[in-house]
Amino acid sequence: MSKIPPYLKKGDTIGIIAPAGFMPLDRMENCIDTLNDWGYHVNTGITTQSNSQTYFSGSDAERLEDLQKMLDDSNIKAVFCARGGYGISRIIDKLNFSKFRKHPKWVIGYSDITVLHSHIYSNYKIASLHAPMAAAFNDGEFNNQFILSLKDALEGKKAEYECLPQDFNHPGKCSGELVGGNLSLLVHLSGTESDITTKNKILFLEDVSEYLYNIDRMFLQLKRSGKLKKLAGLVIGGFTDSKDTERPFGQNAYEIIADVAKDYSYPVCFGFPVSHEKENYALKIGVKYQLRVEENRVSLKEG
Amino acid sequence: MNRKHFLSVAGAIAFGSSVPFKRRVFYETDDTKTNDTNDSNDINGGYRKPPSLKQGDVIGITSPAGFITFEEIQPAKTVLESWGYTILPGATIGKRNFTFGGTDEERLNDLQQMLDDPKIKAIMCARGGYGSIRIVDGIDWTKFIAQPKWLIGFSDITVLHNHIHKHCEIASIHSKMTNSFPDDWTKAEPIQIETIISIKDALKGKKMSYTLMPNSQNITGSTDGILIGGNLKTIESLAGSNSDINTDGKLLFVEDTGEYLYSIDRMFWNLKRTGKLKNLKGLIIGGFKIKPDDAGEEFGKTVQDIVLEKVKEYAYPVCFDFPVGHQRANFALKCGVQHRLKITATDVSLNEI
Repeated sequence: MSKIPPYLKKGDTIGIIAPAGFMPLDRMENCIDTLNDWGYHVNTGITTQSNSQTYFSGSDAERLEDLQKMLDDSNIKAVFCARGGYGISRIIDKLNFSKFRKHPKWVIGYSDITVLHSHIYSNYKIASLHAPMAAAFNDGEFNNQFILSLKDALEGKKAEYECLPQDFNHPGKCSGELVGGNLSLLVHLSGTESDITTKNKILFLEDVSEYLYNIDRMFLQLKRSGKLKKLAGLVIGGFTDSKDTERPFGQNAYEIIADVAKDYSYPVCFGFPVSHEKENYALKIGVKYQLRVEENRVSLKEG
Repeated sequence: MNRKHFLSVAGAIAFGSSVPFKRRVFYETDDTKTNDTNDSNDINGGYRKPPSLKQGDVIGITSPAGFITFEEIQPAKTVLESWGYTILPGATIGKRNFTFGGTDEERLNDLQQMLDDPKIKAIMCARGGYGSIRIVDGIDWTKFIAQPKWLIGFSDITVLHNHIHKHCEIASIHSKMTNSFPDDWTKAEPIQIETIISIKDALKGKKMSYTLMPNSQNITGSTDGILIGGNLKTIESLAGSNSDINTDGKLLFVEDTGEYLYSIDRMFWNLKRTGKLKNLKGLIIGGFKIKPDDAGEEFGKTVQDIVLEKVKEYAYPVCFDFPVGHQRANFALKCGVQHRLKITATDVSLNEI
C-alpha cells in the first residue's frame, strides 16, 4: 500500500515552482488565481520569477534548491510544478527526500515531472498527482472538467472517469495501483534508480510529438524491460502530434501499441483522456483504481 | 609494410566542435601485426574475434532494419567484389514492408540464415534506419557462437552489436554499411575511400590504428580496454532490457544524429544513472549532429559541456570528435576488441592491441 499524502483543506498553501523548463510568471497567473479561487494560498518559488536566459528556469542549483525547499517546508501542503519541458533528470539524484518521507505532500505535474513521480513512487511508495500544469489554465480553460478533476483530487474526492470505447480495446476489468506517465520519460528511466516496477499494476501512458518508429521502439523497450508482461491493465492516453519519417512507418500510434498489446490478455483501453492536450484528467499515481473496459463503456474508478 | 594515410578533413569530423579550423586524422594499419590465421582462438579479454576473411570468402548482405533496393547495394557489391570477396545478397534486399526491409519474419529469417550458413564468413547490414530491436529476441545465436563471423554495421545495428557483446562475447565491426559506399569509386573523396578501406582492413584482421588532432576539451590519459558502444539513442533504448551492456572496465564510444541538445543531455543522464559511466576505462565521443534548438528553447550547453559535467568526478580519459558517427568520417571500429586509448595535449590515438 502506498502512503497517501493528506488532502488539502481551505486555507492550505500550495507551493508553485518551475523545476524544469523556463516559464514566465505571467503565464502562471491564471493558474495561481484559480488555485486562490479554490481556497488555497499560493507560495511562488524562486524558479517562477527567474530571469534565466537559458532553456531552464534557473541553474540546476537554483531549481534543486527551490524544489527541495518546497518539499521540506511544513507550511507547504502541495508542490505544484508549473511546467515540464526538460530538467528533472539533472537534479533528481541530488534531492533529499528525508523530510518529505516523514511528511508526504502531493507533488503535481506531468510530462517531465514523470521523473519525479516515478522516483517518489519507486523509492518511497508515496502517492503523487499526474495532472494538468499551469499552461492548461490559460485561454479560458481554468474551469474545464480536466482542471476541475485536479480540484477534486486535491480535496480528496474519489475520481470516477469515463471515456468512449475504441476499436483496439481489450475488454475486461481489473484493479491495481496506478503507475505511469510520459512514455519517453519512463523508458529514459529504465535501469536507473527511478525505474518503476509494474507487476499487478495499471499502467497509463501518453506522449506527444514522437516519431512513430520511436513509439514502436519505446513500447518494445517497455516490453523488453519486463514492464508489460504482468500488468493488471493498460491505459493508453493521447499520443498526439505523432510524426512520421519520409519512408512511412505504416501504422499509426494506436496500431503500433495494439500490436504490442495483443500478446497480453489483460484489459487495455485506448483514448483515455490523459495527454499533452486539454484532455488530461488528474490521476493519482500509487493509488488503487478499478479499470473496466466494456463494449460500450470504459471507466477508471478510484478505490 | 606500414601504410599510413594522412587525411585532411574539413569539418566532417568536427560536429559539435567550436574549433573552426581543419581537423586531421591519421588512419593506418600495421601489416606486420596482421594475424590472418586462426583468429577465432584469439583470446581477447574473454571476447572472441571471428576469423579474418580470405580471398573468395562470402559476405552476406541483409536488411535487419530499413529497406534497401538492389540498385542501392550495387556500389558496395562492386567494391567488396573488387577486394576478392563473393557477395551474397539476402532475401531482404529489394524487399520492402513500409519502412522495413521486409516483415519482421522475413528480416529475422534472412539474418538467421546468414548467421547459420557456414559458407558466409561475414554479414554486412545493408543499412540502419529502424527495426533490429523488433527481431533481436527471435534470433538463435547457437551456431553463431559455435562459429563466429563478423557482423558489420552501425546506427540501428547498435542493437545487434550490444546484444552480441552481452550474450555472445564475440567481436563485431561498427562501420559504414552498403548505403555509404560512394556511387563512383573513382570520383570518391579521400575520406570516403579511407573509411571504406578501414572496413576491408578490419575484415582482413589488420590491427586498427587511429591518430587524430586533439580537441582542447579532451581529458588526457592512457588506458586499455575492450571497445564497445554505438548510437547513443539506441543504447538508451536497450537500458533495462536483455540487450543492455555492462561497460565496467571498457572503452565506451557513442555517437548520434538529429537529436536535440536537451535530448542528448537526457541520454547521457541515462548512461550515468544506469551506471554506464562510473567504471569506464575511457570515453570516446564521436560525431553528434545536433537538431537545432527551437526558438526560445535554447539549451545553452554544447555536447562537450554535456559530457564533461557527467564525467567530472571520474578520472578516465575522454576524447571528443572521434571520427565515428553519421558522417563521412566514420571509420571501422571493432567492438569487443581490446584497444589502447591514448590522449595527450598534442594528439589522440586509438590502437587495437
